[in-house]
Amino acid sequence: MDIAVSLERVWKVYRQGQRSARIGDLLRNLLRPQVLRVEALRGVSLEVRRGEIVAYAGPNGAGKSTTIKLLASLLAPDSGQVRVLGMDPVRDRVRYVGRIGVVFGQRTELWWDHPVAASFDWKRVVWNIPRERYERMLGLVRELLGLDEFMNALARELSLGQRMRADLAMALLHEPEVLFLDEPTLGLDVLARRNILRFVREVNRERGLTVVVTSHDMDELEQLAGRIVMLHRGNIAFDGDFASLRREVSDRRVLLLETPAGGAAPVLVGAERSGGENGRHEYVYDARQVRLSHLLEQAAAQTQILDVETHRAPIDGLVADLYERWQREPR
Amino acid sequence: MAADDAHPLARLPRLWALYARMDLLFIARGMKTAFSWYFADLLLALGSAAWAFLLAARFDGIGVWSKQQVAFLLGLALFVRGVIDFALNANIYSPSRRIGRGQLDHMLLMPQPLWVTIASDGFMPFSCSGTLLAGAAVIAWSVQALALPISAGWLALLALHVLSAGVIMLSFAYLWGSLAFFAPRGAEEINTTTTRLIEQLKPFPLDGVGGGLSLLLLSVVPAGFLAWLPSRVLIGLSDSSWALVATPLAALVAALLAIAVFRLGLRHYGRTGSTRYLAHGHRR
Repeated sequence: MDIAVSLERVWKVYRQGQRSARIGDLLRNLLRPQVLRVEALRGVSLEVRRGEIVAYAGPNGAGKSTTIKLLASLLAPDSGQVRVLGMDPVRDRVRYVGRIGVVFGQRTELWWDHPVAASFDWKRVVWNIPRERYERMLGLVRELLGLDEFMNALARELSLGQRMRADLAMALLHEPEVLFLDEPTLGLDVLARRNILRFVREVNRERGLTVVVTSHDMDELEQLAGRIVMLHRGNIAFDGDFASLRREVSDRRVLLLETPAGGAAPVLVGAERSGGENGRHEYVYDARQVRLSHLLEQAAAQTQILDVETHRAPIDGLVADLYERWQREPR
Repeated sequence: MAADDAHPLARLPRLWALYARMDLLFIARGMKTAFSWYFADLLLALGSAAWAFLLAARFDGIGVWSKQQVAFLLGLALFVRGVIDFALNANIYSPSRRIGRGQLDHMLLMPQPLWVTIASDGFMPFSCSGTLLAGAAVIAWSVQALALPISAGWLALLALHVLSAGVIMLSFAYLWGSLAFFAPRGAEEINTTTTRLIEQLKPFPLDGVGGGLSLLLLSVVPAGFLAWLPSRVLIGLSDSSWALVATPLAALVAALLAIAVFRLGLRHYGRTGSTRYLAHGHRR
């Protein structure tokens, strides 16, 4: 198995100063501030195969951005080992960053007062990209991300969606082997988001690019990645595919029944009615607990069924339930 | 992989050419921009030196320094500042801003040693040469007024002292700016203060200053090395060999100290990372 990214028992602890808002604590705040030990990563071990897209998720403060910074060579672990493409990101920084791409959703690598094309040319020189490779990759990103409409616009005049497309394109110009995306679709509209996701999938399929992506949008991650790693309080709480995650949390489904208008909604044991009107009734049930045929039998026994629809509940809702469950767990 | 096998030093001319091209495109995007950029720079440069020159003109010199000698000192002070503006702009000369705003991360993501980025990233020869030109003009006028004998040796000495003074200014900025590694928000603007301090003190002849104060101005706040001591050597007010090597030696010590402190801060940064990021674009 060809491993591109490996974290082995990685610990990262921050010290966070706590200040009381009471004027009476002024001296204590100055001289002996309280320090909170925040364990961002607690012995995390993880491997990502070459060519894999891995979604890295978790509630706020779970340690996602810390991991991306460790992988991007911007942070050193307190203990444990980080290896990407066989290199130590911090120790081999110069050689290493020439082989990876990083995009932070809330930052930009573009030159603010220059056209996008100038930033690309800057990248070519600083990264010392051979002309042939540069032209090839530029052609690819221009086409897939539709950059032509704003190549000559100043970076500071771009819309958020355009800027993100340009940033993503720039991260790929040197043809990196691994791409780290930290919330790349933050604040984007649905179309811009879809374009970005489509592009990442395309580059992964065509070039075998390894991608580690963080986001809070679970539906988006499910569209993009085959595997999801979920962090909770600095530990990996789940590592598997999305189908397994659904099974892990609850295989919640939505059942829509259409019955003659004006009739009462059937009462289904094992399903909860979540809404409906004019003969359309919506129920939610856990497919692990109750079988659909059982629910339909119950409904048919109570009224005439005109139509039936079922679909999986959006994963966002499932994950929110999971986060809620985690929050209730004692520390 | 886009690695560069050449020695990092060999990258510099290529990077300077790149940044010069970008700077030219930036300044040439409109007549209004170009004109206002140069005019403002020139005005600020001359304004910052005017007070000392007016003093010298009113009292026909300052201490043992004639009016023309004071003009040379002011010209040299401007020229050294001009070199910094020209070669180390875009907050390279204000590391506390880059650290405090989280923009050091951008520098660390470039596949080259950090010192190569520091030496190239702020190269703005077209938009930021106003102070340099003003300094060169004042030096030229005062050299003529003082009837200084210009030779290749004198020009080499001038270059050595300008370079040394520039290294001292940069080291001073990095020594204090490194505080931002430990207090990113509190110390983000510390280089604004250190720059103001050194800019106000350097265009002044320090001959009449007492021993303790002049020691202070040649160590903790090394303003004396930036124009006064080099000017004494260049206009012939000092001919001791000690005065000749004092500024280059001070530059060496300051640089070593600044490198050590900056590296210490960088190690701390590796442990804590950047806790804030201000959206000022890539490096403004």
